[in-house]
Amino acid sequence: MMQRVLALVKMELLKLIREPANLFLNLLFPAILTLVFGLAFGGLGGGDSSLFDTMAPGLFAYACIFLIMTVSMSFTDDRENGLLKRINVTPTTSTQFIGSHIITNLFIAVLQLIIVFLLSLLMGFRPNVDVLGVIMAFIFMLFLSLCSVGLGLITATIAKSAGAATGISFVFILPQMFFGTFLPLTETTRVIAAFLPSYYVTEAITTIFNGVSPFAVEILMQLGIIALMSIVIVILGVFLFKKYGKV
Amino acid sequence: MVMKDMDDKEKMQELIDKLKEVIKTKDNEIVGHLDKIDALEKEIMKLQKIIPGEASKIKIKREKPEDIFDPDSASAIIIKDLVKKFDDITAVNGINLEIKKGELFGLLGPNGAGKTTTINMLVGLLNPTGGTAIVGGYDVKRDLSKIKEMIGVCPQKAAVYKFLKGRENVELFGNLFEMDKNVLKERADRFFEASGLKEASNRKAKGYSGGMIRQLNLIIALINDPEIVFLDEPTVGMDPRARRKTWTFIGDLKQQDKTIVLTTHYIEEAEALCDRVGIIDYGELIALGSPKELMQKHDAKNLEEVFMKITGRRILEGV
Repeated sequence: MMQRVLALVKMELLKLIREPANLFLNLLFPAILTLVFGLAFGGLGGGDSSLFDTMAPGLFAYACIFLIMTVSMSFTDDRENGLLKRINVTPTTSTQFIGSHIITNLFIAVLQLIIVFLLSLLMGFRPNVDVLGVIMAFIFMLFLSLCSVGLGLITATIAKSAGAATGISFVFILPQMFFGTFLPLTETTRVIAAFLPSYYVTEAITTIFNGVSPFAVEILMQLGIIALMSIVIVILGVFLFKKYGKV
Repeated sequence: MVMKDMDDKEKMQELIDKLKEVIKTKDNEIVGHLDKIDALEKEIMKLQKIIPGEASKIKIKREKPEDIFDPDSASAIIIKDLVKKFDDITAVNGINLEIKKGELFGLLGPNGAGKTTTINMLVGLLNPTGGTAIVGGYDVKRDLSKIKEMIGVCPQKAAVYKFLKGRENVELFGNLFEMDKNVLKERADRFFEASGLKEASNRKAKGYSGGMIRQLNLIIALINDPEIVFLDEPTVGMDPRARRKTWTFIGDLKQQDKTIVLTTHYIEEAEALCDRVGIIDYGELIALGSPKELMQKHDAKNLEEVFMKITGRRILEGV
């Protein structure tokens, strides 16, 4: 069983390295975004912290949200090229196949977080956090990337081609970008944000980076919400893709 | 009351006649595949309640896949009343066929005849609408995981990861069959050598020609040393030289006692390679036999003439 999962993970990671679009969206785009935001907003703001300091936690979530696009593109592309059918006539189960995608994307999310975190530090971001806080931030990001894999599967179920997947994925990306990361929320948009996984992740990471204990009640509550959301979204994504995703 | 009894008896006779059409009946014993019995059991039970005297004579025996397929049987594939419908379109219409172990069987037919749909049902990519098939002793409706361990499928549309090297593609699929690393390497080396792709095996498939991609497609299908191989148009897009090489490749497989199901548009390919061929048209098996038998039967010089006579006549007759 592990031999199959590892072989698929290796293949997905090679896809990340060798396909320029994947490499750009997953690793270069978050890096460029962090540098641009750091340069643009690093010197702005008053008091002890710059505008960039308040934006940085949202940037972590921002990177993970784009996994929706790459996951949906990967599935639709493989489907268009008959590769899902080909894998389907081997003894590989759908759990092993989707599980390998989840493992790969969690690994990519960790890479994204390391890149964004290090570049943010380079651009002057100084979070008031200890090692446990950083680990907790990583855990939040992993749950968010799990949500993104699930939403990517839902997108791939609806989309008939990789091109369509790119467009449809924005239905899930845009609301999370505008209402769940670094933009200030109004009363109305806060209601919308309550349904978005990235909102809870950004809120929790911002709180942790402001020096609050990672085991504070509000953080643990947010962790519970995002964990529940990610499980529901992944199960829904797997169910929909298996039933309607047309291998 | 008498009228009602008559109605019920007629209904029962009607039901028995219906059963006789679709499944075996022996005296009052109904023997059939589980699914068929399941579908008709409610009706039988209803009748047993209405006219217990008559209908209780009917005994139901559920036939398991093992009953259909004898492990010592000479058949690798048994297809029974196989049907596939897509909404109103019947793509495969009640095909019955047995393919022997070690046989190289050719499935011929015009475009859209139902060849690929039949293969897709045998390898588990499509669920049959009716009937069933036993592949290597296992029922396609219940034991797909067992079937997938023993088959190799070369799809019509070459499916390879273009960003992977030829060797990486083969290794990926070998690992999906949980092959031993050394065995996998040895088999991959042998196939790359035989197909002439040895040097190209360490290059990304993105740079391969159409013919090379088709050869890689075939190597992937055979890497797990399958007992039963499904080759769906394996030589489409190959130049004559590569096609001949592939024919040799397929011939070697036959020497190893593999059961091979080959669909092809190249009639001369089927004539040269196949022990028997089946011609499918409009989802029905309309001819079956060795190329020689079919040529004799239809008074034709070659298999292509047989094909044209049979399928052409059906077009003229508007079947």
